[in-house]
Amino acid sequence: MKENEHGFFRHGDNAYLAKFSESEREVLVNLVEQIIELLAERVDHHNDDPLAAMVGITMHDTPPDDEVLLRLLPNAYADQVDASEFRRYTESTLRQKKQAYAMAMRMHLKSAVDGIVEVDHDGANAWLGAMNDVRLALGVRLKVEENTHQELELLAPDDPMRGVYAVYSWLGWLQESLISALMDESE
Amino acid sequence: MPKIKDKIEEELQAIFSADVPWITIVWDDPVNLMTYVTYVLMELFGYSKEKAHELMMKVHTEGKAVVSSGSREEMEHDVARLHEYGLWATLQRGDQAT
Repeated sequence: MKENEHGFFRHGDNAYLAKFSESEREVLVNLVEQIIELLAERVDHHNDDPLAAMVGITMHDTPPDDEVLLRLLPNAYADQVDASEFRRYTESTLRQKKQAYAMAMRMHLKSAVDGIVEVDHDGANAWLGAMNDVRLALGVRLKVEENTHQELELLAPDDPMRGVYAVYSWLGWLQESLISALMDESE
Repeated sequence: MPKIKDKIEEELQAIFSADVPWITIVWDDPVNLMTYVTYVLMELFGYSKEKAHELMMKVHTEGKAVVSSGSREEMEHDVARLHEYGLWATLQRGDQAT
């Protein structure tokens, strides 16, 4: 992953550009597609009440069993009763918003000309949200904690987690580049 | 079993003390970048860079920070928006111990 040496940079009033190699785009598309799929897993396939399904009320009010999904769709209240109630009315909307961010990122990557991705402010926010969800998912798998970065840097070359950590770090760097491009504007 | 009676009392108390504000808390997370947390707080709440940075530092050093306060509905909206961007947030009554 050498081609993209600068990450995102600002171009004009409301455009942010980054150039990616083909392999970088493949990695990113693959990752966001995994997020899209993962978020689809909690969709109610047997919602008994079609009206409830239509307005986005889900039948489940329990937190997800999967650790990654739980991080992406966390409880809003410490109190279990309140958390369940809130989840019932809001989880499906949250899932749809996150999927929309991931799909926007996927679309930008797929339609890049000469590997150049161009996004406006809203597109940049979608990228930030989607990249962050990917990092949260990888972070759970890597068991990232406040002081684990040093250990993760020292993973053996043949450890499969080493590649995962490399992607995780690269995404953090990419996210950082987009944030600084956006922050320039707000000063 | 959750204590239903306690729950009812709590709800009743909430109704009769509607002026007690609710609060949104952001919790520290080892994955979210510091600049990202700052940016999301600026973007969602319209906070200045200084205020957002200060709140982010509080989350980072103290483990959590109150980022907004208001009615329960408003705080539910804030928490939903923060979850959209992957920040770890919860809401509660302002007079409850965090």
